[in-house]
Amino acid sequence: MLDDLRFRVRALFRHKAVEDELDEELRFHFDREVEKYIKQGMSADEAKRRARLVFGGHEQVKEDCRDARGTNFIELTIDDTKYAFRQLVMNPTFALVMILTLALSIGANSAIFSVINGVLLKKLPYPQPERLVRIFLSSQEYPKFPLNPWDFLDFRARNHSFEAIAAFTRGDVQISGDDGEPTKLNGFGITSGYFRVLGLRPELGREFDFQAEIPGNGLQAILSDRVWRTRFGADPNIIGRKITLNMQPFTVIGVMPPGTEHPGNEYHSVVYGESVDVWWPFSFAGDPNNRGSHFIEGIGRLKPGVSVGQAMAEMNAIMNQLSRELSGKDSGWKVLVIPLYAEVVGASRQMLLVLLGAVGIVLLIACANAANLLMVRASARQREIAVRLAMGAPRIRVVRQLLTESLLISCAGGALGLLIAFAGVRALVMLLPANFPRANDVHVSWPVLVFTLSVSLLTGILFGLAPALQASRTDPKDGLQKAARGTTSTRHQNRLRSVLVIAEVALASVLLIGAGLMLRTFLNLIHLDPGFKEDHLLTATVSLPHERYKSQQDRLLFYTRLITSLDSLPGVESAGAGSDLPWTGYDENAGGFRIEGKTPSAGQEFHARYHAATPDYFKAMGIPLLEGRAFNDGDKKGTTNVFVINESMATLYWPKEDVIGKRLTFEDNPKKDSDWITVVGVVGDVKDHPNSVGAEPAFWYPEYQAPDFDMTLAVRTQSDPRQAIDGLRQTVHQLNPGLAVADVKLMNEVADSSVATPRFTFALVGLFAGLAILLAAIGAYGVISYAVGQRAMEYGLRVALGAQRGDLLRMVLSQSARLAVSGVLIGVVLALCLGRVVRGLVYGVSPSDPLIMTAVVVLVLAVALLASYLPARRAAGADPMVALRAE
Amino acid sequence: MTGRIELPQGTLDLLILRTLLSGAQHGWAISERVQQVSSEVLSIQQGSLYPALHRLERRGWIKARWGTSDNNRRAKYYELTRNGQKRLEEETEAWRKLAVAVEQVLEGA
Repeated sequence: MLDDLRFRVRALFRHKAVEDELDEELRFHFDREVEKYIKQGMSADEAKRRARLVFGGHEQVKEDCRDARGTNFIELTIDDTKYAFRQLVMNPTFALVMILTLALSIGANSAIFSVINGVLLKKLPYPQPERLVRIFLSSQEYPKFPLNPWDFLDFRARNHSFEAIAAFTRGDVQISGDDGEPTKLNGFGITSGYFRVLGLRPELGREFDFQAEIPGNGLQAILSDRVWRTRFGADPNIIGRKITLNMQPFTVIGVMPPGTEHPGNEYHSVVYGESVDVWWPFSFAGDPNNRGSHFIEGIGRLKPGVSVGQAMAEMNAIMNQLSRELSGKDSGWKVLVIPLYAEVVGASRQMLLVLLGAVGIVLLIACANAANLLMVRASARQREIAVRLAMGAPRIRVVRQLLTESLLISCAGGALGLLIAFAGVRALVMLLPANFPRANDVHVSWPVLVFTLSVSLLTGILFGLAPALQASRTDPKDGLQKAARGTTSTRHQNRLRSVLVIAEVALASVLLIGAGLMLRTFLNLIHLDPGFKEDHLLTATVSLPHERYKSQQDRLLFYTRLITSLDSLPGVESAGAGSDLPWTGYDENAGGFRIEGKTPSAGQEFHARYHAATPDYFKAMGIPLLEGRAFNDGDKKGTTNVFVINESMATLYWPKEDVIGKRLTFEDNPKKDSDWITVVGVVGDVKDHPNSVGAEPAFWYPEYQAPDFDMTLAVRTQSDPRQAIDGLRQTVHQLNPGLAVADVKLMNEVADSSVATPRFTFALVGLFAGLAILLAAIGAYGVISYAVGQRAMEYGLRVALGAQRGDLLRMVLSQSARLAVSGVLIGVVLALCLGRVVRGLVYGVSPSDPLIMTAVVVLVLAVALLASYLPARRAAGADPMVALRAE
Repeated sequence: MTGRIELPQGTLDLLILRTLLSGAQHGWAISERVQQVSSEVLSIQQGSLYPALHRLERRGWIKARWGTSDNNRRAKYYELTRNGQKRLEEETEAWRKLAVAVEQVLEGA
């Protein structure tokens, strides 16, 4: 084995010495043989002839010896590569165009693959992540809904499918009291065993036990590594230390290690990633028979060998059992068990796969283009190839040589592409929407390098094989004769090259149509009336600690003072407070209320989003009042209960009626007037998300009738809202210096980030489409200009016979138009077939939109004509004398 | 050329190894010696001798060094390695078994 290696290595690296030795050895043999024959009495000449006969072909023997050395393949490759390199250097423009176009396409592919690898392919950072699932409820009305805590306890006690299940719910906390500023922290209430389900262990201390779930025991906290380091200087004695959260003393019982990723959640969602600062023990009390409130989310780790389907079937059986025990009838809820992976990346999957498809198409076009260019060159090199074939080179050697050239080109393209990918990935990550799951996992990593190398080799073979095979079929005799006269190519070659251009145009058209769809989607979304005015609008959140602001009176006082002070700030037009802001994922629902004089349709119940607002909230948000009145300072505790509802609720429950003065109630048996709530105003609709299909029915109750702890502030300013930020903070701190002003945002930035995903998709698909049409144009230019060159004599003759220059121009342009029309028509048909793929990504535009189709047809034709204009001019300028002389 | 038989596949290696058992030799001498010893019945296709030598060298059964031939020219001499000797023993035995077996079949038929 070792001998073998030493032998081969020597053969490879001391190539020259080994060859010389072989030569000497064979010569020695030959001379001895000749000597022998001379001794036998032959003449010198005869002896030599005889020796040659017995010995066989000298070169053949050498070749066999090289084979026997086991390094022939590598030696040939080195030879071929040297030759290919010389060929490329001799023709630098050709090489540069090919390498650059391939580098762009391979680089784009590697960059997109980096994103796919980081987001879709890399495993989630938990042990055995494939066994992690999310648990939701589902009904006809709410396809994906949080759990009720009582249901969760029963699930936990009764299931056999899970190793463990846990629940969690968003609950931010305000940290204060230590040396730092009061700050709002992303917090989650979690049940015991939450981290065990995820497979994570605290780096210090422990996680919550069942004791912590008992109400009253909950003043414990687990910190993230980040908070432990930044807020507490990585205090090694943090376990057992008391810290102040929401102005209450919490005991730190654990610190999670870095890399503890939040699995993402639906209800008041926090993005996937290291986005959580603190965890507190979830506990609750109440009536186990009242299970209407849904606000915790389930997560579980399946037992080994249990499938998602099996777990879901068992959970549904438990749910049915619970319904029977509690009410004796079907509750209408089903249990939904979804793999965590699908939950985390589900939404981005389609978009990324479409991008991969788009960038793959670019690469295909680049391949077709390269094949085309190679074929042009192969025709120009017909003579060289014919010579090699005539000298007895086997066809396979010619194919090998040409393939080495295409591989050299594609690998150079790949290497350059990798550089482009490094830069591209950085740009991509910056462009990615802020809430994109796993964006932090996107890097140029080993799998990306392997991908780039494989793609480079594959493209080299893909675009090199056909031209190489075709060139090797050159008839040596034919090739030599024709080559002497100039270049020609067969009709078969011309047809193949036209087909390639048509394919390029078709694929580019598909991408252009895709880009058109994404552009329309993006434009539709930015021009969408959000239902509020996002300009000059500053927003923030403030949470009042429960301990300090126990009574409603305390909170009312705080809010009225705050709003009054904000109103009087310079540059502030109006200021209001509400339970939430649009497009933040807020989805609190109230169901089961009664509307005076109405009954819900069978199996349904009245339901609506519920919000709270101060009198000026609508004015500050710029939500128009359509009917009746907004709240006023008179809507206080003790006065008539009033609601403002949105247009959707008005038309859903009181179609074609005057809704002002209509009443609804949350009491099962309303008796007195104060049991009823009266509708006093109707405001315009605001959708949950910018691309939601429609607005949900919604109502607002007056904040001043039941002031809440958590509050979103909306401040409308006359000029740049940034200038009001300091004033807002100061105003809050004048009232209570211990309060954190969090989530300070400009609403136009929020609106802007809401279209980040469609903008990202459009930008990339648009970029790829641009690249595609550029490549297709290069391809069309190549084919037309080659055809013009071939027919130069014909054009000259035509001119000599009286053809007008305009006729020639038209002739060439129409040839190009024919290619473009065939291509674009195929492209349109392909795009129509692929429409289904992008349906989930487009908004307000049909995948078969005729305007886009028409625009793309016109654009492609224009580009094709432009690409062939120069060659057409050359044809029209044909000199009849040149043609005549040449014949 | 009459009366000579072509070498059966794979026997060339055996013959080379056997020839080298009596000492180091260069290529030409090996081919001469095989013909001589086999009373001119076996002919080595001279062209196939050298690839075989290189292959055997690669496998580590023979090793080569440059020496001076009887007529004072530089020549490449091959000699058996320890592995080569072992190989020769194995191959010889295998060949003998084969020959006996073939003989038996021929006799019996």
